Amino acid sequence: METTAATRAGTDILPGKVGVWWFLASEVMLFGGLIGSFIVSRLGSSGWSGEAAHLSVPVAAINTLVLLTSSMTMVMAFGAVEKGDPRGLRTYLFLTVLLGLTFLGIKAYEYSSEVAAGFTPVTGLFWSFYYTMTGLHALHVLAGIITNLALFVMARRGLRNQHRVELAGLYWHFVDIVWIFLFPLLYLT
Amino acid sequence: MTTERARPNYVAVWVWLVVLMIAGVLASYLPFAKSAVIFLVFVVAATKALLVALYYMHLRFESGLIYAMVIVPVVLVIALTFLLFPDLVFHH
Repeated sequence: METTAATRAGTDILPGKVGVWWFLASEVMLFGGLIGSFIVSRLGSSGWSGEAAHLSVPVAAINTLVLLTSSMTMVMAFGAVEKGDPRGLRTYLFLTVLLGLTFLGIKAYEYSSEVAAGFTPVTGLFWSFYYTMTGLHALHVLAGIITNLALFVMARRGLRNQHRVELAGLYWHFVDIVWIFLFPLLYLT
Repeated sequence: MTTERARPNYVAVWVWLVVLMIAGVLASYLPFAKSAVIFLVFVVAATKALLVALYYMHLRFESGLIYAMVIVPVVLVIALTFLLFPDLVFHH
């Protein structure tokens, strides 16, 4: 079903979609700047692998799995609203919110155990980068959870606008992609 | 109009993502040269990112305009990072 004024004449792209992609392009520059600085600093100094060895790969791998799965449930929420399945939409949005909260919970557990072991943002450059990059990412996850929660509330009230779900999904998947790079950058190298 | 579009198998993409994630973690323990391991780990990560972008963000089915908006910042970020290499990286 096509909503009025959803697309412009001569193109089948939603103006809202262009807006979200434009925003994501600026986000690429935001995270790219941080990641680029991290790579250059890391390659230019030694001993960072030893610092990275204090991070827990299994815990981060589980968190990666949680976020990858939340991307699947998010796109399935879009699939459900596309097919006109309100119950599926609510279920998948709820699961996405739940998985997002799980990710933040595991991240909080990681932070607390690292701080307890004496690794804080002032311990060294590696740790400054670690807390800044994962912290900024966690803020993005939080924003995504709030957006998805708002969509869930709308879905309970009978949301039928599939574009909102698609646009929120684009953001959520982007946040997933950022983590796909942060995980090897911080934990696996 | 959008309802007629073919959609990818989202679960199959997820299975690939999980397999690649496990492959990436295992690759980091390979007894190869450090640079080879890092290269492998990031090839796996880039593949995962591409899968999410192409199939979950439906980039595969989008127009050239959207592609252009994504490619420019990605190329810029990679280029800018490499431009900073000469002093900090190569002199150490």
